[in-house]
Amino acid sequence: MGKLTDFITQDAPGKRVLLMGNQAIARGAIEAGVQVAASYPGTPASEILETLADAAQKLGFHAEWSTNEKVAFEVAAGAAITGVRAITSMKNAGLNWVMDMFMTLVYGGVRGGFVIAVADDPDAHYSSNEQDTRFAAFYGEIPCLEPSNAQEAKDMCKYAFELSEQLELPVFLRSVTRISHASGDVELGPIKAPERRPVFDKHWRMAWRWNVYGPPGPVEKHRWLHSKQAEIEQAVEKLPWNELKLVEGAELGIIASGIAASFAKDALRLLGVEDKVAFLKLAAPVPVAKQLTSKLLKSVKRVLVVEEGEPVIELQVKALAKDVAPGVELLGRFTGHVPRVGELNPDIAKQSIAKALGMELEKDEEREKIKEEIQKLVAPRSSTLCAGCPHLGTYWALKQALKRVGGKVPIVNGDIGCYEQGGYGIAGKRYEPSDSSESKAYPIQAPYETLDTNYIMGGGIGLMQGQHHAGYKDGALVAVAGDSTYFHACLPAIVNAVYNKAKGVFVVMDNHWTAMTGHQPDPCTGVTATGEEAAKLSIEGIAQAIGVEFVEVTDPYDLKATQQTIERAIQSGKFAIVVSRRVCTLQALRLKQYKPRAKQTRVNEEKCTGCMLCVSFGCPATTFDTERKKAGIDPILCVNCGMCKQVCPFGAIEEVKE
Amino acid sequence: MSELNLIIAGVGGQGSILASHIVAIAAIKAGLRARVGETFGAAMRGGAVASHVRIGKTVEGPLVPCDGADVIVAVEPLEGLRNAVKFLKPGGLVITNIHPWYPMDVNIGRARYPSMEEIEQAISKLKGKLIKLDATKLAQEAGNVRTANTVMLGALAATGKLPFPAEVLKEAIKENVPPKTIDANARAFELGMKALSK
Repeated sequence: MGKLTDFITQDAPGKRVLLMGNQAIARGAIEAGVQVAASYPGTPASEILETLADAAQKLGFHAEWSTNEKVAFEVAAGAAITGVRAITSMKNAGLNWVMDMFMTLVYGGVRGGFVIAVADDPDAHYSSNEQDTRFAAFYGEIPCLEPSNAQEAKDMCKYAFELSEQLELPVFLRSVTRISHASGDVELGPIKAPERRPVFDKHWRMAWRWNVYGPPGPVEKHRWLHSKQAEIEQAVEKLPWNELKLVEGAELGIIASGIAASFAKDALRLLGVEDKVAFLKLAAPVPVAKQLTSKLLKSVKRVLVVEEGEPVIELQVKALAKDVAPGVELLGRFTGHVPRVGELNPDIAKQSIAKALGMELEKDEEREKIKEEIQKLVAPRSSTLCAGCPHLGTYWALKQALKRVGGKVPIVNGDIGCYEQGGYGIAGKRYEPSDSSESKAYPIQAPYETLDTNYIMGGGIGLMQGQHHAGYKDGALVAVAGDSTYFHACLPAIVNAVYNKAKGVFVVMDNHWTAMTGHQPDPCTGVTATGEEAAKLSIEGIAQAIGVEFVEVTDPYDLKATQQTIERAIQSGKFAIVVSRRVCTLQALRLKQYKPRAKQTRVNEEKCTGCMLCVSFGCPATTFDTERKKAGIDPILCVNCGMCKQVCPFGAIEEVKE
Repeated sequence: MSELNLIIAGVGGQGSILASHIVAIAAIKAGLRARVGETFGAAMRGGAVASHVRIGKTVEGPLVPCDGADVIVAVEPLEGLRNAVKFLKPGGLVITNIHPWYPMDVNIGRARYPSMEEIEQAISKLKGKLIKLDATKLAQEAGNVRTANTVMLGALAATGKLPFPAEVLKEAIKENVPPKTIDANARAFELGMKALSK
């Protein structure tokens, strides 16, 4: 591949390179001499550990994809307790998994620097919610740093280790999609060798330091955490990335942090008001630097808070202003100057600032009209599963099985992974909300309409059990999850199903990789994050060991066999696990391991009746000519998996002879 | 020009993001400040991808403002239009490949793909200039159909819109494409440049 990441391991201080935010965070950890890095893949955070894993063997530190974020957090925390530097990284939702350990680890903290890097996803580009990590910094009473570009992502990450050691507490590094998945010029610093020797002292600077119940117990350790707060407040005042620009006579001041500070600066320049507005950039949104903020508050009549996510800074500024500048008018998300949901961009920042200044923005109505007209020409490009994706086969087989033996209104509980697209709906199709007092059936016209419920990793298999115990009788109960999710979040739920006698069919859509986040290995892949050979854990073996009575494995490229397996599972009346197994097509192609099952396929138009059944299979390589009412196959996208040939009841999809 | 706002748009798998990184790397080589904001879906093929590249002393955030793109490079025509309608600066330039990659919505008859004439008219109504080339065909000529992104970079360099010499971009390409494809990419770049000088 290219050499974009070669310099990650280069000790070349002063060199200027292009780094993606996530790579910059990884580089910051390397410059800090990180010795243990652990994570679970999740967009937009995955490249942090990917980059560290690339560098780990060369530099001599440990990097791993853990089974889930909680384990990753504990792996990193365990290392930090022995005095070495450790980082754990995750996406927004991953943080929810670590809360238990996190909330208790802070009662005693760490010895080696411990950075918790979380990439939030405002606008939910790749996530099921827009949650804001900065609230967790309040919850755990630790500081949170927030970079506004790639350079700061690197520098703040490195500094976060030092701050963590100074405070003896973990430190949050909060990124967002537009930092993590944006790139910028970064000047590299020197690399610190990962050579600290781990040590253990049970009563280091506090009795029973690493055992929250050790006397004098949790309340005293909570008191210790509170005793750290003054030190934290001092530390955030002095962060070198804070910027305060007071402007004489300015009526408006802006307080911004992270990417929002960059957008605000762009917007000030677009509006031509850089020199008329006071500006404070806070490197730490939690806690806000009170002295710096007070200076700004006292210098202006109105303050606009521009931040990405929830009004975290705004709430703190409100509380502070009450004491230090009660007359100042506070503007932001609460006053509608900044939208309450979604992400910011330079245009929104511009509108917010203009509104706060009472400026009228010029509107080119003619251009807006032209744009509206042109917009009608822009065909959507809906997200789909890939051509030849094994999940297409599983969803088809599931749909057929449910039609035959699934009862009136089966429930299919979804999960998180590529297969979550089974609930993305069909392009442009909107449903009216229903208010039925009875179970109501809706046709599944494409795989993208399969999933009836979907929330979080491992959620579906638990929901299915609740539906069973509620006494749901109107149809079959099904849950689906991928291989990585199986290990991440489903095992306790399987134990629960067996122990508490739940019934239902759990389909494991095993494609051997954590595909959606960029094909990271998982416990059944046979390789570690750093490319070492590893054990291949058996999904069905684990299920059998737990005591699941019905466990069968099927190949989703064989539609009939997979359908029959799912039917048998439904009809067994047991808690049944069907492992639908075939390696991700995209990854198999990349690794040059893909073996086409069919010769090149094409549609015999004489046999094609235009029924569109093949189209409802959902493969992006299937085409349909609406005028001539004939199906077709895009030869560039088609990978000759042969599944559509099995779908056509008229034998119109043929393999090209010769 | 104190600041260049560029968008490279295409479909997942066409290398638009790599192309945008290469432009930014070249800018950094030339001693300039660069920001790239990528918008892309999951690891799947076939999704809409757009990468914002901002070069200049004053750029802060990674996103180009509405009506703020000086140049839009479209490795796929529909994606060029999708971005032009939102981001093209009046008087800005669209360089587009003419080879479409149909979305599934079009393939299954749920949406209509605009004709090249419609795209031309639309760009004109947006007060933009349009340059067309068959980058996919030129990439095949270069010996690797996946170098259409590099053909487009060659065309971009030929417009003179970049605030650094074409040689710097060529060097950045050589250093950042897969080693086996260096020669094909070099040919693709030249073909793209030539296509514009004709």
